[in-house]
This record gives sequence, structure tokens and C-alpha cells, in this order.
Amino acid sequence: MAKKLKPYIAALGFILPFFVLYTIFTIWPVIKGVYVSFHKWSLMGKQKFIGVDNYTKLFTDKNFVGALKNTFTFVIITAPLLVIVALILALLANRPTKLKKFLRTCYYLPCVLSVSVASFIARYLFAPYRGFINGVLHGLGLMAPEVELQWLQDSNLVWATISSMTVWWTVGFSMMLYISALQDISPQILEAASIDGASKAQQLFHVTLPLLKPTTWLVILLQVIACFKVFGQIYLITGGGPASSTRPLIQYIYETAFNKSNMGYAAAMSYVLFFILVVLSLLQQYIQRKGEREE
Amino acid sequence: MKTKAVIGKVVLTVISVILALIFIAPLIWSLAVSFQIEGKQIVSVWDWFKLPYTIHNYIDIIKTSAVPIWTINSLVIAVVSTALTVILSSMAAYAIAKIKFKGRNLIFFYFLLGLLVPGEATIVPLFITANNLNMIDTYAGLILPSIAGSMNMIIMVSFFKGLPNELIEAVRIDGGGELAVFFRIILPLSKAVISTVCIFAFIGSWNNYLWPLLCAMSQSKFTLPIGIPTFAGTYTIDYVKPLTAGMVASLPMIILFLIFERHIVEGVTMSGIKG
Repeated sequence: MAKKLKPYIAALGFILPFFVLYTIFTIWPVIKGVYVSFHKWSLMGKQKFIGVDNYTKLFTDKNFVGALKNTFTFVIITAPLLVIVALILALLANRPTKLKKFLRTCYYLPCVLSVSVASFIARYLFAPYRGFINGVLHGLGLMAPEVELQWLQDSNLVWATISSMTVWWTVGFSMMLYISALQDISPQILEAASIDGASKAQQLFHVTLPLLKPTTWLVILLQVIACFKVFGQIYLITGGGPASSTRPLIQYIYETAFNKSNMGYAAAMSYVLFFILVVLSLLQQYIQRKGEREE
Repeated sequence: MKTKAVIGKVVLTVISVILALIFIAPLIWSLAVSFQIEGKQIVSVWDWFKLPYTIHNYIDIIKTSAVPIWTINSLVIAVVSTALTVILSSMAAYAIAKIKFKGRNLIFFYFLLGLLVPGEATIVPLFITANNLNMIDTYAGLILPSIAGSMNMIIMVSFFKGLPNELIEAVRIDGGGELAVFFRIILPLSKAVISTVCIFAFIGSWNNYLWPLLCAMSQSKFTLPIGIPTFAGTYTIDYVKPLTAGMVASLPMIILFLIFERHIVEGVTMSGIKG
């Protein structure tokens, strides 16, 4: 009997520390959040049970709808850009030149920065008058000296600012995924296509891109998921402005919970985000499994 | 036909180099600004790059600001998080991969669920939980929630499963316990996967923003990502000090990246494929 128990005790000892932290900090909050969302709950603690009021409020709260819309706007503008730019950079940095390593390092380097430093640099880059971008546009004579683009104030330009900053800062990650997929394409296939008379462009569109399809699906999903989680760079660059026009969902959740001390309502809003992200992650798992089977 | 191909190649190379310069230009500009004398008259953008340079800003930041404290906090938190992540994840992964016991598939499934839980969507209840445990504004609160992540564990399980059972059995037959197997066989054979998880955990912790923003209340507990943006409020008139602080916060990571580029790239692709 003692011998039979031995593997259990050993396994328990090995698993327990991880199990405890995982349960307390990953799984428990998901359950606790449901409970919180059915209550009026301030930073100080529980006040009273209010049923689904926090959820019905979502439909009439203009700020919530606005924040959700802003998050979707960000996803729709930024995610496709991230995928396309990643692919282009990967193709450029995978060409057999002496610059290969230099190019990869340059394209990836901004990824090393933390969100606060990247946002911080972006704030000064896009600032009018002495900022770098307007300065370069003036310096190269692309913009009249008296014109100053208000990258952070104009409600259309501000999305260009946030989106281009996000691409600059994070595209290296997807590029690396593409490069590793490109390296898995055997050179014989391309050689065979070339012997059959396919031009470089034909090889790209009829051989390379179709072979990259599983990676493209993966990159699309990873980027859509990452874009739905947007918070730091918007919060730090525009603060959600001008006039809440860029405030993303997570920022509204954060402000509701910690500035307005309405944890219950913030928890209810979180589940909208939670639901969107779970569906996307399930889709991602499905695509990955499918990709692995095809290999 | 041939000249056309050569021209095409040159054009692509030129484009790729221009893009590379665009990608690093913001960093080079920030670096140049950080070496400028504060209060310098800036007429055109090129003035930011002109001599004379000074390292006075760096000395000032290190001597008079809280940046050194935040750096130490970031370092301590990142090192402890990384160590705990590697130890706890590899232990759990070992049990799941190599010890036969009933219910291990169930436990593994339970650990897989974490892949679906977006941390960003549970910050409110996580804050309440940490608060109940009196962990807000403590190092424990900053460190512990990020330790037990599903992904690191899963990467390790799939790696450990590939290790040969014969070696493990040999140690067990010699009377060695599971600890002996773990320390003498598993860990030495797993340097590759451990270094990947290390790099990941370290970068993740170093750059973590949302949780420390909630958890660190007092300046003395701030990490660099939380502290650096407070500079923007205090010194908006001049770019020099804030960008110097940004550089102080980033240079260690940039240097680490340049040294460990190959490992980091491998880790990135692995996480993308497994994640």
C-alpha cells in the first residue's frame, strides 16, 4: 500500500506549489469576478447584491459603448497593418544578403522596449514644434515650416499616431514568426518553380504565400487578441483623449474600478472582454492544432 | 532580363535599409537627446543630434531621481519572478510528464485552462484577491501573481516528455528518489528549454505594466515601467530628462537583447508556436 501511494506523494509535492499559485491568481479571480459583478462593490469591499443590474447597465452606458467602439476601431486599423508589415519585413529580412542579421536586429529592436518607454518616446516623437516627426517633415522640406501636425490632438491623426506607434513597437514579434516559417520552406520547392520558369513574383504569390497560410492565420489571431488587450500605449500617449475618443475598454474598466470605485460594474465589463478573448483563443488553439496535424 | 533582376535586388535592398533606419531612428534620436545639454535652443530637428554632448543628464538621473530605486525594484522583481517561475513550472511539469499517477491528465487539463484566461480581463477580481491577502503594495503582490503561467509549464511538459525514460528508470532502480531524478537528470538535460523560459519570464516581468500599475502604490515600490511615465508629468517642458530616464530604463534590455539575440528569437518563435 505504501508503495502504491509513493508516486502520489511525490507528484503532489512537485505539483502543489505551482497548483496553489495558479489556483489563487489565475483561476480563482475568474470565479470571484462573477460574484463581484453581481454586487455593488467599492474599493473598500462588498456593499450589496444587485443581481444582473451591472450587466443591464452595459447596454445603456454610452461610455462603455464608446470604449468598446474605440477598442474595435483600434483592432480594425492596427491588426491588419501588423500582419502585412510583419510579412513584408520578414520577406525583406530573409533575403540572402549580408545585411540579413542587421535588418532583423533593427526591425526587432523596438520590441525590446517596455510599453512605457515606447509610449514615452512616441509622445515626444509626435509632439508638435520640437518633436522628431514634424521636425523631420520640416527638415526634409515635406511640410511647410508654418504647418504643425497635431498628431495627438486631431481626432483622425491620433489613430494614425497610436496605430503606427504600435506597429513600430510590436511588429518584430510577428516578423520573427514569419521568418521562422520562411526558413522551413525548402529551397528545392522554390528552385523547382524557378526551373519551371516562374518569375520571382510568381514564386512569391504562388509558392511562398500559400505555404505561409498557416502562419498567417496564427499571426492574424495573435495580433487580433493582442489588439483587443490594448491599454498601455493609449493610456500613456493620449490618456484616452482627445475627449475620450481613443479610450479603450481596459482603460474604462481601470477608471471605473479604481478612480470611481465601482468594482462590481468594472468586473461586469471585464466579462465582455473576457468573452471576446476566450472565443478568439479557442479559435487560435483550433487553428494551431489543425496546423500541427497538417505538418 | 538580367539587369532588371539586378536593379530589382538593389531596389529591395535600399528599401529594406531605409525601413531599418526608420525602425531605429526613434531610438537613436532618444539617445542623442539624452546626451544634449538641458535647455538647448532647438531650431531644426538636426540640432538634436549636434555636439556638444554631455553625460551630465545620466549622472543627474542616477543621483537625484528615484530611477535607481525603480531599477533595483524592477531587477529584484524580475530575477525573483524568473527563478520562481522556472523552479515551480519545471517541478509541476516534471510530475505531469514523468511520474505516473491517476488523475494527471485531469490536472494537466486544469493547467491548460489558464491559456484561455486573459489576465487583462481579471484585474479587478485579482486586485480584490491580492488585497484580501494583504499583498497590495508589497513585493509578494508584485511577484506572485505572474509566477504560475500555463504557457511556460506547457512548453516544459512537452520538452520533458521527450527526455529518455531509461535514464530516469536507472536512477529510480539505484534507489534515487524523484528529487534525485529531477535534479540529476531532468534539469541538466533541459538547459535549452529552461533558458527559453528564463528569458521569457524575465522580459515579461521587466516590461509588465498593468499589474504593477495597480499593485504598486508607493513610489518606493514602483518598477521602471510605472515610474518612468511619472517623469512626463514633472518635466514636460524639456525632452532631455524624460528621454534620459527612458534610456536608462531601456539600455539594459537593449544590451541584453544584442547579446542573447539568438536565444530570444528562438524563445519568441517557440512561444508563438506553442502559445
